[in-house]
Formats: sequence, C-alpha cells, structure tokens
Amino acid sequence: MNNILCMNWGDKYDDSYVEKLKEQCEENCSVPFKFWCFTDRPDKDWHIPIPKTLDKFYDKERDFFWAYRKCYMFRYGQMPDDIRWFPDNSKFLFLDLDVIIHQDLKYFFELPNDKPWIVRGWWNDILTVKKNYAKYKSTPLNSSAILWKKGEMMPVWEHVNKHAELIFFTYPSLDNYFTHHWYDPWNEDDGFLRGFPQGDIYSWYKGNVFPDDMEAKKLRKECKVCLFNNSSEINDVEELKSLWSI
Amino acid sequence: MEYLKFTPRLARDWKNALSHSSKSEPYIFKRVMDSMNESQLESKLWIIQELIKLNIKPKKVAILAGWFAQYIVPLLYDNFDSIEWIANYEIDRDVKDLSYKFNKKYFENEKYGVEIKNIMFDIMPKQWDTDTIINCACEHMYPMWKFRDLNKHVQENPLYILQSSNDDQHDDHINCVQSEDELIVQSKINHVMYSGSKVLANKSTRFMVIGR
Repeated sequence: MNNILCMNWGDKYDDSYVEKLKEQCEENCSVPFKFWCFTDRPDKDWHIPIPKTLDKFYDKERDFFWAYRKCYMFRYGQMPDDIRWFPDNSKFLFLDLDVIIHQDLKYFFELPNDKPWIVRGWWNDILTVKKNYAKYKSTPLNSSAILWKKGEMMPVWEHVNKHAELIFFTYPSLDNYFTHHWYDPWNEDDGFLRGFPQGDIYSWYKGNVFPDDMEAKKLRKECKVCLFNNSSEINDVEELKSLWSI
Repeated sequence: MEYLKFTPRLARDWKNALSHSSKSEPYIFKRVMDSMNESQLESKLWIIQELIKLNIKPKKVAILAGWFAQYIVPLLYDNFDSIEWIANYEIDRDVKDLSYKFNKKYFENEKYGVEIKNIMFDIMPKQWDTDTIINCACEHMYPMWKFRDLNKHVQENPLYILQSSNDDQHDDHINCVQSEDELIVQSKINHVMYSGSKVLANKSTRFMVIGR
C-alpha cells in the first residue's frame, strides 16, 4: 500500500495548498495510493489530527524553526493501538506543501526500500557542509520529501520522543538534527538515511547540483520534484502559486 | 603560567599541521586559524594558572569539545607531571587527524587520543577512567548537568573545569551565560573551588568554574 503524506499547521498555508498538492499527486502518480494530511484543522476522512505531545518541549523564544511535528508521522501507522492500520509492506512518501511535482511519483515507490530516503540537497557544497557541521549550519539534508516503509523511521521517532528537550535546544532545525544523528556527511552511503539521487529533487531558490547546475528560479521539468522552502524571500508563497499553473 | 612553551618540537609539529591544513584541507584552514587566536590561548592559560594555584594534580583528563586542542594539550603536559593521558571528545570528524598532527608528540607516545562522540547523547563506557573533565565550550551545548547525569554511573566525582561565554553573536553559541554563577547553577556544581570571569582580547567575557 502506497501512502502520500503531507502536513499543515499554523497559518502560512491555507487548505487550498493541501488540495493543490493532492491534485498534483493524483495527476502525477500512476500507481495506486492513499493521500493523508496531518493537520491541526481536521475535517475530512483523510485528515489526521496532529498530536501535541512534543509541544511542551519547543521553546518559542529560541526562535528556531523546528518542524518537529513531522516526527509524528514516523510513529503513526506503526503503533499497534493506532486507529489507522497499515499493512506491513506499506510505503510512505511525505511531501511538503510547497512543492511542484514534475514527474510520475511511481518512481519513488519503486526505489529500493532497504533504507529510508530523504532529500540530499545536492545544491550544497559538501565542503561547506563539513566546515559548518559543528556550527549546526549548512545541513545537506532537506526534510521536504522523505520516503520510508512502515516501521523504518520508528527509531527516529523514539529518539526524538526520548530526547526532545535536548534535541530542540541543540539543533536549530529538523534537517540539522537529521544530519547530526541519522546521516554522515563524511560517508554519505553509511548513514541511516540515504539521499535521493542527484537530479531527482531540486530547489527553486538554490539550484540543482553543485557546482555545475546552480541557476536559481529555473524550472527543471526533467527532475521529479521542485522544492520551494529555504527561501528568505517574503513573497515565496505568491511565487509558488504563480508556478502552479505552469 | 603566562606563556606556552614553544619548543622546536612543537614548532615542527605545528608547522606540519598548518601546512597540511592549508594544502590538503583548505576548507578548514579558517577554522584552524580561529582556534589559534589570542583569546583561545588566554582562556587555556587561565585554566593552567588556576589549577596551579589550587595545587591540583590531574592524571587522566577528558576534554569535551576540545576542537584541535593544540594549546591545551601541551600546556597541560608541560605544567603537570601527574598527567598520564588526555582524551579529546569531538563531534567534528575533520578535527581528529589535524589534532593528531598538532599534538603529534603526545599522540605518538600514546599520551593523547581523539574520539568522535556526541557527549550529550552517548554515554561514556563503563570502564571510562578520568579524574578531570575540561569543557571550554559550554556555550556550544546543552547545560552540563545533562552530561553529568548521563554519566553518573561511570564517574567517581571527577573534577570539572568549565568555561562559557556571554558572546551571543554566533549562531552556534546556543547556551551563553551572563555570569559564573549561572554556569555553576546550570552545571550543578556543588563544591566550587574556583569561579571567576575574564574579559578576553575579543572583548567578550569568559566565565570559568572549577569544582565537583
């Protein structure tokens, strides 16, 4: 069973973004799948309420953008007492709301599933990643797209749940946490997480592959997915909306 | 102690380390330079001065987040005949080889080792044998009470030498303090042997606590 997940909380993105992502998935996935949205405003049968158990560990005053709510996904469907039951061979593809899908998502569900996959931002210079590793900056990973099979990401959930206060204090982002605990920039094939291959997923604002294909704000329809996060631009939402029609 | 003994052997090892860094790993050369500035040496000399005043004789020393440790290792060995072994626990994999180059004399004589370890998450092994723990980077990590709690079953009341800073201009300074008392509280040091502050060459104030 293939599942596509997204997540929506707060007020940056209204429900139209969820509907747009769902529509994009339906138009660009040639294998059967179920679409789910973790949301703080559940009102549909494919909506899943976002839990709040980690909220108390998040310190707003530190001003870290910590997408810790994504960690709940790694638990759901994997606990014996959960109301949503997924078969053991279920696969989960998480996508951020601010993406544009160019190619058939079937590709992701057919990738080898011996390890979870995550966006390896190939637009990052790996030397900068290593240089800034201990400074908690320049993460090579991007959690805008994650692929795993049932149970695979449970160790991540358990680690976050056990050390939430320490983790939220130390790492400025979920991606940074992933880089320090579940990936190895010095041996990129050895980590718990594996990066999607070069050319699969690119960044609208940062480019595709360092150093040769780094032009920003360029559509690359030969790639599977375009990401819009990591933007420092205030009109990024409007820019994404304008590109939905392309 | 107001100086580092820059012996011919140390000059040779440091020259090799700097040469290697600039040629083979230029992307970390700026970090190496940052680790060798005036304030870095001032803060390490301060440790030696206070340990001498307190008549402390460290034997097995653990340095937490010691970076390249090119100042603290020779300073400790040159000033304390009691020292048998120094271990440096770091998260940065690029540190290891270069730190061995800087401290080649001690590494070759099996007096110094670097272990890649996240000390706030990974418990020390049961056989961990250390009497003195130095952390000059408390501003870079969660409060030290956590480390103490994590390792309470493998330690026998070691001496802690802790430094932190009020310099909150850097993104990686995630735990700055405003006084030595704040450092004492967040580290849960019960028996304070020394506490003080020092304005460094870079104008930031550094705080130090020695105690158990």
